[in-house]
Amino acid sequence: MTEPNERLVVIRHAPYSSNELREGLDVALVAAAFGQAVSLLFLGQGVLALLKEQKAGAPGQKSTLPTIDMLEMYDIETILVPTETLQNFNITADQLVDGVTLLPISDLPDLFQRYDYVLNF
Amino acid sequence: MLHILNKPPHSDAAVQMLSTLSGNDTIVLIEDGVQAALHPEWQGWATNEVSIFLLVEDAISRGIHSIAVAHGLPLIEVDDFVVLTEQNEQIISWY
Amino acid sequence: MEYGLLVMGAPYRSAAPHSALRFAQSVLNKGHHIKGVFFYQEGVHNASQLMTPPQDELNIREAWVELHRQYGVSLDVCIAAALRRGVMSESEAKRHGQVNFNLESPFELTGLGQLLELQQRCDRLITFA
Repeated sequence: MTEPNERLVVIRHAPYSSNELREGLDVALVAAAFGQAVSLLFLGQGVLALLKEQKAGAPGQKSTLPTIDMLEMYDIETILVPTETLQNFNITADQLVDGVTLLPISDLPDLFQRYDYVLNF
Repeated sequence: MLHILNKPPHSDAAVQMLSTLSGNDTIVLIEDGVQAALHPEWQGWATNEVSIFLLVEDAISRGIHSIAVAHGLPLIEVDDFVVLTEQNEQIISWY
Repeated sequence: MEYGLLVMGAPYRSAAPHSALRFAQSVLNKGHHIKGVFFYQEGVHNASQLMTPPQDELNIREAWVELHRQYGVSLDVCIAAALRRGVMSESEAKRHGQVNFNLESPFELTGLGQLLELQQRCDRLITFA
C-alpha cells in the first residue's frame, strides 16, 4: 500500500551514455530529502545502473554507482526491477547491488496506477 | 491513464510504454510516435481496450497522413490532445 | 485547470520545445492556466539569451518569453542542470567567476524542489522530452 503523496521515479537510461540517469536520480534524491516517500523503478537500459561491478568511466566522467549506494541513506528503500528486464539483458539478480526488489513485468500497470506522482526519466 | 509516445513504435520507449498499459488507458502518438501508422503489426494496435490516437499535425508533416487515413487510424488535433489531458489525471510521457 | 510543463529537450536538437509550445498555446486558448514551465536536463538550453537562429527559423527562447508576457507563465530553469551546461544568470556568473552570462528574466534559475512543487500544485504535469 502506498501513502498519499508517494512518488514513483522511473529510470530508463544506462550509466555513462548520457547525463539522463544521473539527473533522474537527482530528482529522486531531492524528493526524498524533502521527506517524500520515493520509489524507484528501473526499466530497460536503466537496470544497467544497478550492476554492482561498475567502475570509473572515461576521464572526468562521474559515476552514478555511488549515488545508487546512497539511496538507502535517503530512505529510498523501494528499488524495483522487472524480472523480465533482467532476463532480456542476461543479467542475474546477484549481479545487482543489494536491496533490489524484483517484480513480474505484469505488475507494472497496477504499480503505475498506485502512485500520485510519477516522473519518467 | 494517458500515455504520450514520441518515439517510433519499436523503440525502447514504446516497448516500455506497452509494458505499463492498463485496460482503458489512452495513448497519444506525437512526433515520431506517428510512425506507428506504418506498422500495422505493431503490438500497440493489438491491445484491446486501449484507445490510440495520432496527432494529425505530426502525421501530416511526416508524410504519413494518407497512410494513417487509409488504415482507418484515429487522428486528432492538438486541441483534442488537450481534452485527453483534461480527462486523465495520470499522464506519462515516453521518450 | 492548472497545468505545468516539464521540458527536457534542447532547441534545434529535439522536437520537445516545439511540441511543448504548441501544447501550451492550445491549453491557454481553452482557458486553462499554466502555472509554470520547468526546464531540466537538455531543456535548460531553451533559456539561452545568446540563441541566434537564422531569420527564417523560430527563436524558441523568444517564443517562451512571449508565453510569459501574454499569460504570466513562469519559466523556471534547474540551476544544477543549467550551470553544468553553461547556462547562467549574471549573478550566478559572478558567483562562479565567469565573465559572461546568458540567462535573464523572465527565466529564473531554481532548484529541483520547484519541479516537485509544480507537479503537486498543478492538476496536470505534462513532460516534453
